Amino acid sequence: MLLLVTGALFLPQKPEYKQTKPEDLLYEIIQPTRYVTTDQVAKMIIDKDPSLELVDVRDVSSFEKFSLTNAVNIPLDSILSKSNQDYFGISGMKVVFYSNDDIKADEAWVLTRRMGYEDTYVMTGGLNCWIETIINPEIPSDEAPYTAFERYEFRRGAQMYFIGVNVESKTTKAKVTVHRKKKEAAPSGGC
Amino acid sequence: MGPLIPNGVITGEWSFVIAILIGIAFGFILEASGFSSSRNIVGVFYGYNFVVLRVFFTAVIVAMTGLLYFDYFGWIDLDKIFILPTYLAPMIIGSVIMGFGFILGGFCPGTSYTAIAIGKLDGLVFTIGLFIGIFLFSEAFPLFEDFYYSGFIGNVTLTDVTGIPAAWFAFAFTVIALASFWITMIIEKKVRKNIKEYKF
Repeated sequence: MLLLVTGALFLPQKPEYKQTKPEDLLYEIIQPTRYVTTDQVAKMIIDKDPSLELVDVRDVSSFEKFSLTNAVNIPLDSILSKSNQDYFGISGMKVVFYSNDDIKADEAWVLTRRMGYEDTYVMTGGLNCWIETIINPEIPSDEAPYTAFERYEFRRGAQMYFIGVNVESKTTKAKVTVHRKKKEAAPSGGC
Repeated sequence: MGPLIPNGVITGEWSFVIAILIGIAFGFILEASGFSSSRNIVGVFYGYNFVVLRVFFTAVIVAMTGLLYFDYFGWIDLDKIFILPTYLAPMIIGSVIMGFGFILGGFCPGTSYTAIAIGKLDGLVFTIGLFIGIFLFSEAFPLFEDFYYSGFIGNVTLTDVTGIPAAWFAFAFTVIALASFWITMIIEKKVRKNIKEYKF
């Protein structure tokens, strides 16, 4: 018996969760910094950012139909299981949860944050927003600011990257007409 | 795999069947350990029979060590087992009252039923007293309801409270248990020398 219980001392210990206090969690929930936009995610994927860890919290069948590049599938109902804990809390990694919209990803964020895992984020709008902004980006209106066109151009590039279609830019560019000054008649006459 | 019901391996309805089977096994072990005799039970307080201490300490250390290994092998998830809520002061007072009842009556609730099962009259009288006690407690409950629910510190374990891993508690308990087995054996030998007639 003594041998058995001495052996138990050397069994690997479960990770101790440093639980986040409910007050801190409530404060963090309302912070916009816990969200990342689809543009930011797309840029990180294109840049092959090694610190990005995309976690798809939808069910397995939805994940198999469509998922983002290099995403891992951890359905929400198994996010607390022991085998999935290894994906979180890795130093230097940013875990970004996404689902079809924000709801499940938000739940995953709350659960993991409550367990004390840091550097977890939610992709704003989920895959619905991804389709709207990256796969089918909307052409900004002529009156839109310059940054909107820049963003649009980035999204067009990202679209080509992700769906592999060489689509020509649809940006409406104003025709530039060059008005040349008429040359004035050379001074004539002379001395 | 385990716990079976929370993990959905079997449905909740099985809990009654399992309770009956465990109850029968528990009663059998109590009787087989000699707990249907109040002399055996109260012997621990008078120093001539420490079977209660030995049986319960054995149960505790076997269960503790077993659960640690079961958890390690993945047979049971200790995070999912039910932890009794702790109400500190009421539990201490309750334990003292229980201890006095133990000495005075010679049984605890479980052992009184095993005594009835083998036809002991003192067990029957104790059980009648038990139900009178339950009735009085229920009737008087509003008087000490506030105290009953005071000192709540949650569904906590010693590990939660102290931060010391469960294996260390199991180790400490085992060492204490084995030491107590040895000490009580010596005490028993000395005390029993002076007892001419000893009946269970």
